[in-house]
Amino acid sequence: MTYYEIKKVFVRRGSKTALLMMLAVIAAVLYFVISENGYVNENGEEEKGAAAIAKVRELKKEWAGDLTEEKIRRVIEENVRISHTPEALSEDFDQNDIAYSKKQGFMDIRNLLVYSYGSFNDYDYYLPDSLSPDAAGDFYSNRLKNLKEWLDTDAEDQFSEEEKEYLIQTYEALETPLYYDYQAGWKSLFRYAPSILMIVTLLLSFLCAGIFSGEFQQRSGAVFYSSRYGRGKAVAAKIKAGLIIITMVYWGVILLYTGLVLGILGADGANCLIQSDAAGWKSIYNITNWQEYLLVVLGGYLGCVFMLLLTMWVSAKTNSAVTAVIVPFVLIFLPSFLSGTGIPFLNKILGLLPDQLLQMNQVVKYFNLYGIGGRMVKAAPVLLIAYAGFSLLLIPLIYRTYRKKEVY
Amino acid sequence: MEIEMKNVTREFQGIRAVDRVNLVMTNGVYGLLGVNGAGKTTLMRMLCTLIRPSSGTITCSGRDIFEMDGAYRKLLGYLPQDFGFYPDFTVQDYLMYIASIKGIRPAVAKKRVSELLRRVGLTQAKNKKMKKLSGGMKRRAGIAQAMLNDPKILILDEPTAGLDPNERIRFRNLISELSSERLVLLSTHIVADIEYIANEVLLMKDGQIVRRGTQEQLLSSVPVRAWSFAAGRDEIAGWQKRYPVSNIKTFPNGVKIRVLSEQAPHPDAIEEAVTLEDVFLYWFGEKAGEHYDVL
Repeated sequence: MTYYEIKKVFVRRGSKTALLMMLAVIAAVLYFVISENGYVNENGEEEKGAAAIAKVRELKKEWAGDLTEEKIRRVIEENVRISHTPEALSEDFDQNDIAYSKKQGFMDIRNLLVYSYGSFNDYDYYLPDSLSPDAAGDFYSNRLKNLKEWLDTDAEDQFSEEEKEYLIQTYEALETPLYYDYQAGWKSLFRYAPSILMIVTLLLSFLCAGIFSGEFQQRSGAVFYSSRYGRGKAVAAKIKAGLIIITMVYWGVILLYTGLVLGILGADGANCLIQSDAAGWKSIYNITNWQEYLLVVLGGYLGCVFMLLLTMWVSAKTNSAVTAVIVPFVLIFLPSFLSGTGIPFLNKILGLLPDQLLQMNQVVKYFNLYGIGGRMVKAAPVLLIAYAGFSLLLIPLIYRTYRKKEVY
Repeated sequence: MEIEMKNVTREFQGIRAVDRVNLVMTNGVYGLLGVNGAGKTTLMRMLCTLIRPSSGTITCSGRDIFEMDGAYRKLLGYLPQDFGFYPDFTVQDYLMYIASIKGIRPAVAKKRVSELLRRVGLTQAKNKKMKKLSGGMKRRAGIAQAMLNDPKILILDEPTAGLDPNERIRFRNLISELSSERLVLLSTHIVADIEYIANEVLLMKDGQIVRRGTQEQLLSSVPVRAWSFAAGRDEIAGWQKRYPVSNIKTFPNGVKIRVLSEQAPHPDAIEEAVTLEDVFLYWFGEKAGEHYDVL
């Protein structure tokens, strides 16, 4: 039964087209990934492609290791030295590019300096160019200091005292010195992951929306429901087929995407804490790139499963694939219209909507906290547990809804 | 095997599609005859557990069919009037899928599908997509799916609707072949469909079974006789106002009219044997079926 339910989905030409579109999206993302990981040679000219990526990797590998005070000092000194060369001070962009080519190896660490030595919500790209090497000792303490200042000023009304205390504790819990390594593969992987996850979810909604409503749209429900298993195992087979399709397509796309990105850029830096890169410097999640990857792909899978089970339930309830396919669109795109209000309560609610599961790389950057049972809990575990529970509840709901249908 | 309907009613938004039907059926072929909208499909869908009665009970050998659930449907084969299928499946895949939801093990299903494809004449078309089949072939695939589980109860809703005369005859013969040792309920608004194969005919009108019996019993139930006579073309309207007209045959110099009447309607009228068509006309007040069946 399950085999034929899956076959019903994939014999449709639209399904094959949707899968081809997914491959096209992955190809486009790879193009962006390769384009933005170029190498600037000593003449200031940009090179792209596998050789360029290898050169950047080699340069950055030279700076791999613990970010001790000594290493930070070296970065500051080297950065200041290069920033004061005639090429860097020139009005000519080509000359500036020559100066940049000398900074490529420690550019990731230089970006950390921007955040460490700037204030919490400011970004001054040129700030590291005027740093004193003697400031190297403040590299880690600045992180905590900036947070405390921000909590006492701009963010004063956004958090309760318990929340502020918790945020400070998580910052204090970060193990230092951070270990730095070349990690462009993971960063590119995370950057495009939400787009890939949203597109695969929408694609899957096209595939799965018709599993239940199809019997009514094709008027085959009379034969289906008058069969021995029509109100039992055959319904379960539809749910099973949906889950198998979701799992196969999701992990197929994710593993292909992961394999290609890491294959091109390298998987180095898997064990680096995410705070060792500018994108994760402020994060309250003290996890490694590998752990963030697991969070992104498992969260994405859970979000995908939840949204598509909901899609299938609407399909079973309304007998309409069109109505059902709207569900993931609403769940993914509606929250983005409501975000950015600056209202803490609304942000907390938005932080728990299922679209967050498709962008766990963003969730780890947010300061969304929830008081549960007298304890502070970060958004990620709340999302994972809550939606795993909701998904499990949806399965019997779909079964009950569909098996009780009447065919007029 | 005995199917019993007791006071079965089904309402749709206050309208009674089936109205207090009491019916007992055992093995044999039952022809359910009625005009469109008489409630035949609703009655059959209740028998197939597709819809529940608003009131009343349906039992199979004394057990409620809805409580029997899968155990009842295991006995059932159903060809709906509006036969839907999966357009991109091949005939073979379609039947294998239906076999699976009927609980037939794959190895058994494969043999059964092969045998039924041969019986319905679709062996050559087994790898054709369902959407590529002609209307008659689709119906044959439909009867094959209904027969997959060798059902003890076979319900066929307007199985010949939309078929051309040749396909219809072929289909009738096929049903006749398949109908032994089971309960077959065949609904139609075309009298010829059941004339030769039904052991018992049920006449349904406005949601109720208004008459039932063997063909002989029904033929003798009408208190009129059939008469045939020649008339001018300009007289047709006049005769139609006065008598139920069951047939009008056109000739170069006029028409031959067949009417139902207790007495001879015309001095030259010749009495003819009453047919099931006439019974249909008498009870339902309109002609049965599609034109080429009666002309």
